This record gives sequence, C-alpha cells and structure tokens, in this order.
Amino acid sequence: MGLSPPPHRIALLFNANKGYDREVIAGIGQYLNSTRVEWDLYLEEDFRSRIQGIERWHGDGIIADFDDPEVVAALSQSALPVVAVGGSYADASLYPERIPYIATDNAKLVQLGYRHLIDQGLSHFAFYSLPPAPGNAWAAEREVAYAQLLQADELPVTIFRGQPTSAGGWDHASEQLVEWLQELPKPVGILCVTDARARQLVQACQLARISVPEQIAVVGIDNDSLTQMLTRIPLTSVIQGTEEMGRTAAHLLHQMLRGADHTQTRIVVPPVGINVQSSSKHQPLRSPLVMRARHYIRQYGCLGVKTEQVADYVGVSRTALEEHFRRELKQTVHQALLQHKLEHAGELLTSSSLPLADIAVRCGFTSLQYMYAVFRREYNLTPKQFQAQQRGIDITESTDSSAS
Amino acid sequence: MNSLTYPNAAHVPHAVRWGTLADGRKVHRWTMRNAQDMRVDISDLGGSLLSWHTPDRHGRIEGVVLGHADPIAYANALGYLGALVGRWGNRIRNGRFELDGVSYRLDRNNNGHHLHGGHDGFHQAVWHVDTDGNGLLLTLHSPDGEGGFPGNLDVQVRYELQDDGTLRLDYQARTDQATPINLTAHPYFNLGGARGDIRDHLLWIDAEDFLAVDAGMIPAGKESVAGSAFDFRHAAPLGSRLTWPHPQLAVAKGFDHCYCLREPHGQPRKVAQVIDPASGRRLTVITDQPGLQLYTGQYLGESPKRSAGFYKAFDGLCLEAQAFPDQINSATAERVVLRPGTVYRQSTAYQIDTL
Repeated sequence: MGLSPPPHRIALLFNANKGYDREVIAGIGQYLNSTRVEWDLYLEEDFRSRIQGIERWHGDGIIADFDDPEVVAALSQSALPVVAVGGSYADASLYPERIPYIATDNAKLVQLGYRHLIDQGLSHFAFYSLPPAPGNAWAAEREVAYAQLLQADELPVTIFRGQPTSAGGWDHASEQLVEWLQELPKPVGILCVTDARARQLVQACQLARISVPEQIAVVGIDNDSLTQMLTRIPLTSVIQGTEEMGRTAAHLLHQMLRGADHTQTRIVVPPVGINVQSSSKHQPLRSPLVMRARHYIRQYGCLGVKTEQVADYVGVSRTALEEHFRRELKQTVHQALLQHKLEHAGELLTSSSLPLADIAVRCGFTSLQYMYAVFRREYNLTPKQFQAQQRGIDITESTDSSAS
Repeated sequence: MNSLTYPNAAHVPHAVRWGTLADGRKVHRWTMRNAQDMRVDISDLGGSLLSWHTPDRHGRIEGVVLGHADPIAYANALGYLGALVGRWGNRIRNGRFELDGVSYRLDRNNNGHHLHGGHDGFHQAVWHVDTDGNGLLLTLHSPDGEGGFPGNLDVQVRYELQDDGTLRLDYQARTDQATPINLTAHPYFNLGGARGDIRDHLLWIDAEDFLAVDAGMIPAGKESVAGSAFDFRHAAPLGSRLTWPHPQLAVAKGFDHCYCLREPHGQPRKVAQVIDPASGRRLTVITDQPGLQLYTGQYLGESPKRSAGFYKAFDGLCLEAQAFPDQINSATAERVVLRPGTVYRQSTAYQIDTL
C-alpha cells in the first residue's frame, strides 16, 4: 500500500560512441521525461560485454540496435520483451520475426538526397556506397533504393563501393576513388551512403583538384556533427529520424511491459530533414516547372516526345511552360528537346560504332535526313564530319602529340 | 514622410471573373501578393482560399494548398477545401442543442450528427467581397433558421497576406438572437507542392491534451497526449505516427481530432508548426482559439484535383483553429454562445517561411 512497484530494468544495447545511436538513446530519454515513466536504464561503456551475458541478465526489457548481427544473434532466444531498432528493408521477409521493429526509412533517406541533387539542376548522378560487411545491411538497402529511383527515371545507375573505411591501404583506396571520380561525366551529384563516406569523397576531390560543388555536388546521410566538423567543405546531409525512433521504441516497450502484444508491429520512420550546406549547392534553377520539365526531357527526350507531352507531365499549359523556359533558359521547350537529342546523338557518334540510322532512331529523330539537317544547322557539320572531328580531338588529347 | 501606410498599389487585389455556378450565380477570384512573390487566391464562393503559392528553400514558387479545378467542382465538393466554415465548424451531437430553455434541431449531414454548418453552410455561400487596404473583407448574412440555427447572423472575415509570409484571418460576427457560433477555415496544406504526401511532413503542436472521440467522431473525453501517437510536443513525422498502435487512430482512420491548446485562450499564440523536409517550407499556426482540429486528409480520395483525377488519402492536412467540437452540449457551452449586443471575434494566422 502506497509503495509503487520498483522501476523496470531496461537494457539499451547500442554503441553509444556513434552519433546515430546516441540520438536514438536521447529519444528514449525524451519519452521517459514526457511520460514521467521511470526505468532503470542499463547502458554499458563497452556494450559488447552486455551482449555476451544478456541471456542471464535479470531485467525487464531490452531496446537494441538490430543492425548489429551479434546483437540479433544474442537476442534470438531472449525471454524478455525486446524492441528492435534498425534499418528498413524493402523485402519484408528480412525483418526479424515476432519482434517489434522501429526502422529508419532507407528508401526515403535516399530519395530525399537524390531529389535534393535534382533540385540543384544536376543531370548526372552517382552513389558512393560501402563494400558489404556484417552490420551494414543498410548500405545494400540504400543502394537498392538508389538504383530503383534512377531506373524509374530511366537514368544510368552508377554505384561505387570502394574499399572499407577502416582498410589500412587508404592511399590505394583513395587512388581508386579518384579514378572513379575522374571518369564520371561532370557536373555530377553524388549521394553518399553515410557522412563518413561523404567526407572521404570530398577529401578525394580535393586531392584530385575536382571542385566541390561545381564539378561534384556531394550529399551525405546522418548529419553527423563530428564529420561535419572534420570536413573542409560544409557537408549537405540527410537527417534521420533518430530521436523519433527512440521515442517510438520506448513507447512500444512501455506498452509491452503493461501486457500489450506488439510482436507484429513495425514502424518505419522517415527522415526529418536535410541540412543544406555548400557541398551540394550547384546552380538551382529558379522554376520547379523547368526543373521537372528538364528531368522529363532527360528521361524521355529520345523517345520522340513533343512540347505538349512535357507540358502535360509538368501539369501546366504549353504557353505557361514556354514562358518559364524563355525566362529561365532563354530557349523554347522544342529547342531543349532538340538539344538533348543532339547531345545524345553526339555521345553515341563519339563513343559507339552504331550505324547512323540506328543512332537517329535511338535519339528520337524522325528520320536520318532530319538528323542530318539538325546537325548541319546546329554544328554546320554532317553527323559523319562531327564524328570524325570528335574522334580526332580525342586522339590528339590522349596521345598528347602536337597535332598541327 | 511615409508614416501613413498607404496600400502598395501593386498589392491591392482586384476581382477577376472566375465562372458561373449551375444556378447562374457568378463567382469571382481575388489575388493578393506580397514582397516575397507569394500569391494567394481567394474566391467569394465559400470565401475559399483557392491557392497559396510560396517559395521553397531555393526560392521556387509552388502551390501549397489543395484545390479543385473550377467553381462547379467547388460547389459539388464534399471536402470543404480551403473554405470558410460556419456557423458551426466541426460536429454537434445528433444535431441537437438547448439554448435558454429552447431545444433546436440542426441539419444532420454527418452520420446523424451536424457538421460544418449543415447543407447550406458558409462554404456553399457566395460571400460579398470588398478590398480593404492590402486585404480583403468578406461579409455574409446568415438568415435566422439557416441550417436550424437561431438568429440573423452577420459575419465578416478579413484576409490579409503580409510581407513576412503571414496570411491573417480575422473573424467577427453579430446576431439578433442568441446562437451557437464556431467559425474556422479549412485549408488543406501540402508544403511539398505537387511532390509527395503529408506523411513525410513533421508536426509540432503545443498541446498536452486532445479530445478522444466515439465511433461517430463526437468527443468522448479529454486524454493526455503524453507518450502516445498524439504527442507532438516534440516535432514528429506524421507518416510513422499514423502507424503507431492507438485505438483512436483506428476510429478515425488517421488523425481527425481536436487538440486542447494551452491557456491563455483569447490571445494569439503560436500553437502548431508543420515542416516539409524536402522543400524546407515551414508552416506556423497562430491563433486565439482554444482548440485545433488536426485532420490528416484520410478521406481526400473523394476530392477531385485541379487537374484530372482525385486526390489520395494523406495528400493534405488541415489545422483548423476553433472552439471544441460539440462544445454547445458541454459544461462550457456559454463560451460558444453569441448574444445580441456582443461581438464574436476570432483571429488565426498561417505563416509560411523556409528553413
């Protein structure tokens, strides 16, 4: 009588050295403060020591980082209520069974970063990931999400995994990275799987004298303050909903301790922001209509689309779209379409050995004759002369001979 | 020299013919602009906020409220998109109340309950509109007995778009008989422009309690938000909150609940904020009202878009500043009764800026 039951003993199995984990823990703390729920929290300096003995621990519940396979294994037989925190999976069968799971939405993290790069007016994109390793299943999930977005936009999927962050041969890894960066068509927007990866990439750019953001615009994921501080160019980064994940996990565990069954509950938390800094500030187009129209043209320009279809896609009248193009790009939509086809044909002429008729079809010219006419008008060259000239220039550059 | 504030000529809104309703009434549209290139379109039909165009973090202008294509679509619509709502915003149980010993029966247009003024609510009326400096003054006469309410009610609502991105709505009303009154506005916001739905928006509401509802969406009692899906005292994404296990979310198929805002009531204070991470737009709601209805647009599938097709659930969210639902049938009923010789006032502002 009058005695309240002793507070529940709750273990938090997180690596509190990392920003992400610390923020999840902060969210758990916020939940406890806002509800006046009292838990005795067990949070180890070295959280590995807690995992090893966890099945013998006399506590009431556990909130744990399920991105760590050792934690997952250690808790697979736990008799205590467990709430998992980790990355989202596109394939639902990859979630642990019969455990409530609070996920950071990997697909939405990637989408927010990618859209930001589109917003910067970029047309080339790439993704800098990590080699697969235990504990970074989220990297693979982010790669898949990225590939799906690019495929949906009918753009090439360029993903580079490089070497593990902690590998001893940093110089070699860095050379490889620089090589990859140099080969990318510029300007390019690169989304990095973490801020740590983004920091390496910015370093490599500086090494290779590639300007950020003019040549390479960089976006990371985590909004990690330490990495921010260590990066010379302030880093744009997608902010995960970590505190909300902590609040959600605490709420579910709190309900479970009162008898609720949440074994089937899965809550996916979207990103809460993007911290826009100078690493990604390319040249944003002012008009979102023009931006979306250009994005559409990049995808479908070579399928023979007309101004009308571009306007339909953007959702405005032809006249309105033309007005925006005139103001922003000083060209008509038709000119932009033609320019896209011409550029694409130019690339194919330079880099492939396709017959001219095929190139005309692939680039959306209604006939070979029309492609000829456009080349003559725009370059004052036939496609064949254009090809010869481009290849000639290539040879001159690569042999470094003084062609006179 | 310029201590007297003359309206900037460029800001003074003017009427444009918008269309004709099925019954022949002609309706109009007014445009207000501000120094940030924002544009707000308002119609005399329903006193509706038709559109609000605001810059994103890159200065790109996009529309951030949902709307229909034309006046006919508004006249036939069910979702109250952008409308001024009255004489009673929200629900009254069984469409009944008693006032000064007389019982009244109202239009019952929502599962046996009264909602948003009934069949001829203010959202269906063609308001009289005057320009008023930089603002618009909308007036309406609601005759005795309309929707079942007692008394001739004269309403005026002033809209003003300010240079800091604030859209102010100041309401006043007078009556010749005692009547319940609860006026509000019903814009559906989607701060992402045309991209994505509001489940990626973050919401903050400065409230410790909300009104739980019964199956008919009538308040059943005050509940603490603490630690629950309804707790937005720390900003949280709506999408994940909508999937939290909570019986009240199951009843309403999302959020359609009134928050009990902090005291003091009757003075404007910042009560809610919405952030769209992708565009960087932030909406702040400032009001002198005691309640704030959060509605996440779960029934938007019945509302036609401006272009072809229909909106989808969660395409927009409403934050309606008002008195409490069914308050006329509660212990505090007198606070929502307007009597002859007194003036009803409510003041709400929506401010949009970017992060």
